[in-house]
Amino acid sequence: MSCEHTPEILADHFDTRLAGGRRLEVQQHLAACTDCAAELAALDPVRTVLGNWREQGVPQWQPVAGAGLVRPSVSERFRRRRGVDWLRWTPLAASLVLTVAVVMQLRVEVSDGGWLVSFGADTVTDIATTAAVVNLANIEQYLQAFSEQQRSETQQLMETALAQFGETSADSLYQIVSFFEEQRQLDMRRMEAGFQHMLDRDYQTVNSVQQLATYVQYQGELLQ
Amino acid sequence: MKQPAHDSADHELISGALNGSLSAWELLVRRYEGRVYNFSLRLTGNADDAMDLMQEVFLGVYRNLERFRGESLFSTWLFRIAHNKAVDMARRRGVGPPTEPVTEAQQDQSQGDEQFHPEHELQQRQLNDQIKRLLAQLPADQRMTVELKFYQELTFEQIADIEDISANTAKTRFYSAIRKLKELLETTS
Repeated sequence: MSCEHTPEILADHFDTRLAGGRRLEVQQHLAACTDCAAELAALDPVRTVLGNWREQGVPQWQPVAGAGLVRPSVSERFRRRRGVDWLRWTPLAASLVLTVAVVMQLRVEVSDGGWLVSFGADTVTDIATTAAVVNLANIEQYLQAFSEQQRSETQQLMETALAQFGETSADSLYQIVSFFEEQRQLDMRRMEAGFQHMLDRDYQTVNSVQQLATYVQYQGELLQ
Repeated sequence: MKQPAHDSADHELISGALNGSLSAWELLVRRYEGRVYNFSLRLTGNADDAMDLMQEVFLGVYRNLERFRGESLFSTWLFRIAHNKAVDMARRRGVGPPTEPVTEAQQDQSQGDEQFHPEHELQQRQLNDQIKRLLAQLPADQRMTVELKFYQELTFEQIADIEDISANTAKTRFYSAIRKLKELLETTS
C-alpha cells in the first residue's frame, strides 16, 4: 500500500451510509488510484464473508417491567439442555449431600429388613416410617444423668468416708485423700470410655457417608 | 441490518414506557431484541453470554430511558449502551470470546422454524460460526468497530462518538480490522 488515503478510502467505500458527494469522491479515487483499487479487490472477500451472517432467533425470554427482562425459567433452561449439562452439577450435589450428612451425623445401615437411616443419636429408625431423628434431647438427658450419678456417688463416698474415718485423727486424712484420688481416676476412665464411644459412633457415621458418596459417584459414572 | 425507519414509533413507545405502560416497554424491547441479541452473539461468541449481555443492555436501557432526549436515533443511543455493556463484560471475562458449537437448544429452535431445511440450516450455522471465530480473533476495539460499522451500519462519526475517538481513528481501526480479517481468511482457507 503506497497511497496514504487507502485506509480512509477503503473505510468510506465500506460505509453504506456515505453521503452522495463523498461517495462520488471515493469512486473517482478508486478509478484513478491503482493501489487503492488493488487493496479494495483484495479486501472485498471479507465483506462477502461478513455479509454471510444470518440473523439468529432470540431464545425465549420475557421482558418485564422493572428489571427489564426475565430469562427462561430454570426448569425450561434445564429442559432445553436436556441431560447434557446437568451432569456438571452432580459433584456439587454430592458435596452438598455429604455436607448435610456430616452435619446431621447421618448414619446408614443395611440389614435384612432393608436400609435404615438415623441422624445424631444411636436410635435407628426405619426410613419408611420416620424421615429423620435428630436426638439432641437424648444428649441433654445423658449429661443430666451423668451429672446426677456423679453427685450421688460423691455423696455416698463422703458418707462412707465419714463412717470409716469419722472419729479419726490426722493420720486418717491421708486415707481420705487416697480414697478421693481413686474415685477421681475412676471418673476419668468413665469419661474416656464415653468419649471413645462417641468417636466410634462418628467414625461409623463417616464411614457410612463415604459409602454413600462412592455409590453416588458410581451411579454418576454409569449415567455418563 | 437496516436501520429502523420508524423512530417516531420508538418515541411513542418510549413515552408509553416512561408513563408506566408495560406493553409499550415490551414492544420496544421486542423491536430491538433481535439486533441486540445478534450484536451480543457476534461479540461474545456464545449464546449464553449473548443472553447475559442482551439482558444487561436492556436493563441499562430501562434504567436510563428517561435520559434519552431524542437528540439521536433511539437505535444509536441503544447501541451506545450496548457498546458500554459489551466493553464491561469483555473486561470482566477477558478479551477474546470463546466460540461454541451449535447446541441442542439452538438446533431445537431452528427446527421450530417454518420451512426448515437441514442442509441449508447447517450451512448457515457454519457460516455464522466462521464469522464468530474470525471476529473472536480481532482485538476487542477492532471487533467492536466492525460490529458497529458493518452490522449496525452506524456512521464513522457515530462510532467515533460512542468509542470516544476521532472519526479518522475509527476509519483506520475499521480498515485495520478488515485487513486482519483478510489475513485470517487466507490462513484458514
